[in-house]
Amino acid sequence: MKALTQKLTTGWLLIIVVVVILVILPILNLPREWTLYCFLFLIYLAMSNMWNLLAGYTGLISLCQPAFLGIAGYMVAIGTWVGVPWWAGLIGGAAIAGIFAILISFPVFRLSGVYFAIGTLVVPEALRIIFYLWKPVGGELHGAGAGYMIKEIGDLSMAHIYWMALAVALISAIVLHVILKSKLGLGLASIRDNEKAAASCGVNTFRIKVYPFVIGAFITGLAGAIFYIYQGYIEPAATFNVKWTMIILLATVIGGLRTEGGPIIGTIIVVILYFLLARYAGFSLLIQGIILVVIMLISPQGIVGIVRKTRFYSYLERFATKRLI
Amino acid sequence: MTGDIFTPLVMGVLLGGLYALIAMGLSMVFGVMRLINLAHGDLVILGSYLAYAVVTFLGLDPIVSLVICIPVMFGIGFAIQKYLMGRAFGISGEAPLIIAFGIALIIQNSNQILWTPLSRGLTTSYSLASFSLGQLQFPVSYLLDFIAAVIVMLALREFLVRTYLGKAITAASQNKRAALLMGINNNLVYGFAFAIAMVSAAIAGVFLGMTFPFTPTSGTQFLIIAFGVVIIGGLGSMFGTLVGGLILGICQTLAGTFLGPATQMLIVYVIVLVILAIRPQGLFGR
Repeated sequence: MKALTQKLTTGWLLIIVVVVILVILPILNLPREWTLYCFLFLIYLAMSNMWNLLAGYTGLISLCQPAFLGIAGYMVAIGTWVGVPWWAGLIGGAAIAGIFAILISFPVFRLSGVYFAIGTLVVPEALRIIFYLWKPVGGELHGAGAGYMIKEIGDLSMAHIYWMALAVALISAIVLHVILKSKLGLGLASIRDNEKAAASCGVNTFRIKVYPFVIGAFITGLAGAIFYIYQGYIEPAATFNVKWTMIILLATVIGGLRTEGGPIIGTIIVVILYFLLARYAGFSLLIQGIILVVIMLISPQGIVGIVRKTRFYSYLERFATKRLI
Repeated sequence: MTGDIFTPLVMGVLLGGLYALIAMGLSMVFGVMRLINLAHGDLVILGSYLAYAVVTFLGLDPIVSLVICIPVMFGIGFAIQKYLMGRAFGISGEAPLIIAFGIALIIQNSNQILWTPLSRGLTTSYSLASFSLGQLQFPVSYLLDFIAAVIVMLALREFLVRTYLGKAITAASQNKRAALLMGINNNLVYGFAFAIAMVSAAIAGVFLGMTFPFTPTSGTQFLIIAFGVVIIGGLGSMFGTLVGGLILGICQTLAGTFLGPATQMLIVYVIVLVILAIRPQGLFGR
C-alpha cells in the first residue's frame, strides 16, 4: 500500500481522471458525434502506438499496417457469415494478423532501411488484389469488390464498440510502456542505434525484431477489426489502402516519434483536422502533408520535441511528478 | 497459336519501355543519394498533369508541351533537394523517407484539389492510332513509349559518362568524401541529380498520360512498378533499368493474357517481393 501511495503523483492522477472521463463518455448523453470523434481517436491511437514501437523504437518503417487491420477485419466479417460469433472473430482475426506478420517477417526482415519500407508497402497492395479475387462465401452478390456486411451484431450498441476501442487503446499504451521498460526495449534500442554492433554483442536481432512486429500486428488487427465492426461492412479498396498508413504515420510523426506522448497528441491533431475539414477531404490531407514536412524539418521529435525545449515543460514535469501524499 | 504468345510478348516489351522510363528517375536518385524517393510516382503523375494543363490551355501537342514541362520539373526537383531533402539527410536516417512521404501526400492532394479526382488522359490523333506488325495491330502510343525510353536512357548514359556534371554525379554516388576532396560541391551535385531525375519524370509523365488514363492517386501504383523495375535491374544501372522494365512488362502482359486481367498487378507485387527476399541488390546490382 505504501509503495502505491508513493507512486501516486499528480501525473498519474491526471491519467486516471482522463481514463475515467473516457470510460463514462458514452453514457453522458453528449451529442452522438462526440462519441464518434473519441472512438476514432482511440482506434487511431492504438495503431499509432504500435507504429511508434516499430518505427520510433525499433527503426522499422513499416508501411504494411493496413494488411494487418484488413486481415483481422475480413476474418470478423467472413466469420459472421459462417456462424462464428463476432467476439471470436475479433480475437481470431487479430491472431491471424499476428501469424501473417510472422510469415511475412521472413522475407521483409532480410531487408533494412528503405528496402524494408518498400517491401512492406507492397504487401497491402498485393492483398487488395487477392481480396478482390478471393470469394469464400456469399454467392454472386457479395464478396470480392463489393465486400461483406458484418452480420448479427445488432445487439452491439455504439457504446459497446466504443468501450472495446478504449480497451484496445489502453492495452496498446500499456504494452508500449511495459516493453520500453523491459529488457526487450533495451534490445530494440540497440538494434535501432546499430544493428550490426547489437548482433555482434549477442543480441538475436531477428527474433527481437519479430516480437514488436507481431505484437504490433495483433493490436493493430484488434483495432482494425473493431473499426470494421463499427462500420458494419468491409471491402478491399478502402481497407488495404495507403490512407491508413498515412493516418498512422502522420499521427505518430506530428506528435513525436520515439516519445510515449507523441501518438496521443498527434492523433488528437489528426482527428481534429479530419473533422474540421471533413467536407474538403483533399485539403485535410494536404495540410497534414505540409505539417508533416515542416515538423520533420524543424523538430524531428514532433510537437513533443518542441514542447520539451520550452520552460513550460520543466514546470509541467515538476507538477506531474509531485507526490500527492 | 503463334499469335497467342506473340501479341503479349510485343506488348510487354513496349510496355516495359514505359516502365523503364518511369523508373529511371527513381534509379538515379537511389543510385546517387541512397534515397528511395517515395514521392516519385506522384512526381511522375505531376508531370502528366502539367502536360495536361499545357495541352488544355495552350493547345499544344503533348510531346511539344515538354518544352515547358521539363524546365518546370527541373526547378521543382532542384528546390525539393535543396530545401527539403538536403536538410533531411542531416537529421536522421528515417527523416528523408518521411519527408518524401509528406511530399507525396502534398502533390497527390494538390492534384486532387486542382484537377478533381476524375480520370484524365492526354489524347492526340496518333495516340489512339495503331500500327501493324505482320497481321497483328499494336497501339502507336506504346511504340512511342519504347522509343522515348531508349532515347532517354542513352542520353542519360552519355550525360553521366561524357560531361563534367555527369562525372561529378557519378563520383559523388561512388564516394561522397572522396568526391568532396576532389573539389566537387556535393550539395550542388545532389541538387542537379534530383533535378535531372525530375526531368526524366516529366518525360515519363507525358508518355504515361498518352498511354493510360491517370488520376491523382495513380502515383502509388507507378511507384511500386518503378521500384520493381529498379529492384530487378539493380541500382543506378541505366541499362539494368531498361532490362528490368522489359522483364516486368513481359511478365505483366503474359499474366494478363493467360491468368486474367486482375492478376496483372498482382504478378508485379509478387515479383518484387520474391526478388527482395532472394536478391535485394537486384539481378544486375553491384
